[in-house]
Amino acid sequence: MNFSEYVVSRWDTLSLAAGEHALVVGVAIGVSTAVGVGIGLLAHDLPKTRGISLAISAAILTVPSLALLTLLIPITGLGWGSTLVALTAYAFLPIIRNTVAGLRGVDASMVEAGRGMGMSRTRVLLKVRLPLAWPLILTGVRVATQMLIGIAAIAAYVDGPGLGTQIFEGLSRLGSVNALNATLAGTLGIVVIAVLFDLFFFAVRQLTIPRGLRVRS
Amino acid sequence: MFDRDTGGASIELRALTKHYPGQPAPAVDHVDLDIPAGELVVFVGPSGCGKTTTMKMINRLVEPTSGEIRIGGEDVLSLHPDELRRHIGYAIQQVGLFPHLTIGQNIGLVPNLLGWSAAKTADRVEELLSLVNLEASAFHDRYPRELSGGQQQRVGVARALAADPPVMLMDEPFGATDPITREHLQNEFVKLQKQLRKTIIFVTHDFEEAIKLGDRIAVLKERSHIAQYDTPANILANPADDYVAGFIGADATLKRLALLRVADVECGQQPGSANLPQIAADASLREALDVMLAHGTDRCGSPSGVLTYGALCEAVGTEPAPAPRLQSVGSGSTPVRTAPVPDAARGEAVGT
Ligand SMILES: Nc1ncnc2c1ncn2[C@@H]1O[C@H](COP(=O)(O)OP(=O)(O)O)[C@@H](O)[C@H]1O
Ligand SMILES: [Mg+2]
Repeated sequence: MNFSEYVVSRWDTLSLAAGEHALVVGVAIGVSTAVGVGIGLLAHDLPKTRGISLAISAAILTVPSLALLTLLIPITGLGWGSTLVALTAYAFLPIIRNTVAGLRGVDASMVEAGRGMGMSRTRVLLKVRLPLAWPLILTGVRVATQMLIGIAAIAAYVDGPGLGTQIFEGLSRLGSVNALNATLAGTLGIVVIAVLFDLFFFAVRQLTIPRGLRVRS
Repeated sequence: MFDRDTGGASIELRALTKHYPGQPAPAVDHVDLDIPAGELVVFVGPSGCGKTTTMKMINRLVEPTSGEIRIGGEDVLSLHPDELRRHIGYAIQQVGLFPHLTIGQNIGLVPNLLGWSAAKTADRVEELLSLVNLEASAFHDRYPRELSGGQQQRVGVARALAADPPVMLMDEPFGATDPITREHLQNEFVKLQKQLRKTIIFVTHDFEEAIKLGDRIAVLKERSHIAQYDTPANILANPADDYVAGFIGADATLKRLALLRVADVECGQQPGSANLPQIAADASLREALDVMLAHGTDRCGSPSGVLTYGALCEAVGTEPAPAPRLQSVGSGSTPVRTAPVPDAARGEAVGT
């Protein structure tokens, strides 16, 4: 069986796995963005809180994914639970770091003008800092997504969802029938998912970045 | 609040002091100042003397360490800072327009904070754009990054004026523009203030700008101590001390001439004024002197008659030197002809 015949014959399994792969990444990124941007908003102006949240999210990222997934099994079990928790945790660093950098990078004169006109601190944060930081925040989310798409494949080891199963099954019986096809299909599927997510973020950029920030200066 | 009358409110500072934490000395030390309603007062002084700090205490972007501030008799320190700031116009050198909002939205910010209706805000934005000489239809929907520096400064002024505040604080608002644009903005601003009569505190380190714009000037030295507080003409005529004199520079008399208009001095009706170089009635006496020097004459024609060098001297309170002393000007032994000079100049002026 050549590669295309393999893909056609296993289409149902492959498309389900790909769908689950995208879904688990999407959910993890959604949760991580909501929580991470929230932490960034709260912590950007508090040096201690900011330092601690950045240190913790950086520490998480240094734990090898296989180790983290295994450590989570006693708590969140095999499958979706541990996969989601691990992926969400890994995404924090790029999201929190870019949120904090974006919010803090806003020109001081804009904050001064806003405060000087009688905007409250919170209003300046939500109506001035956040929109101006948004392009950088989106970049952080996009980088985190690309990272998670790769890490999600490892989740196959804890019986998680996604295309990892294809890849590792193939690798484990390399030389036997369809082993290479399975690995190749899983890998290609991941590439396709990565490209689709990138297209999605391109659209989000176009739709959500204020026009005034996109015009030439 | 103090803005029931939008035409300006008086400002009183009493023993106003700011000591930044960790600094050896206060940045502003016991400043007392009375600013009458409807006047433009310029704070001028070297960089770091505390101008900005003094100004920012008035809208409480900087909280005073001690002292009192009253606007229109009302104790500013008892008001809610955000509420207070919505009733004080604020313009800064970096302008600080929000790049993600249109020009119209930028100008409408304070009216929105004050809860104006959309229709009232829209009308006001339109009115303000034309007030600062920007065509509403062309600029309303553009973004700050699409504007030149000078246009951004104008929007900054319009935004500060948006809710028609009685008091405006302006920190070197024209400081970042090129000299030609700055001059243009200053001239427009002088006209605007004649019309609006707001109480304005205007900070600059440029004494020329202070003379040009100020009804009064507060010359500040370190820790915002007031070296002199008076009208531009009085400061130029009678600097309080060497510090103020040093700030004015060596050409105080020329600067005083610049403050006076041709139309303000008595011009003698004399025959033959049509043959003299002409000067407009709203030109300054400094420009009149420039015309005289350029034509080598001691008189020039204005719409109301003949303006003489003697009249310029009188205007700044000095006696014109008698003719024989004029002769001694020049390189020692060479006699200088004085009488024929006007004739020669007259001839040149009519092109014969
Ligand atoms: N936020 C601050 N913290 C500490 N010191 C400050 C702060 N702002 C200004 N200063 C100091 O106060 C003094 C006056 O500053 P400023 O009011 O900005 O002067 P100016 O506007 O006349 O240049 C300077 O010595 C400056 O370094
Ligand atoms: Mg300053």
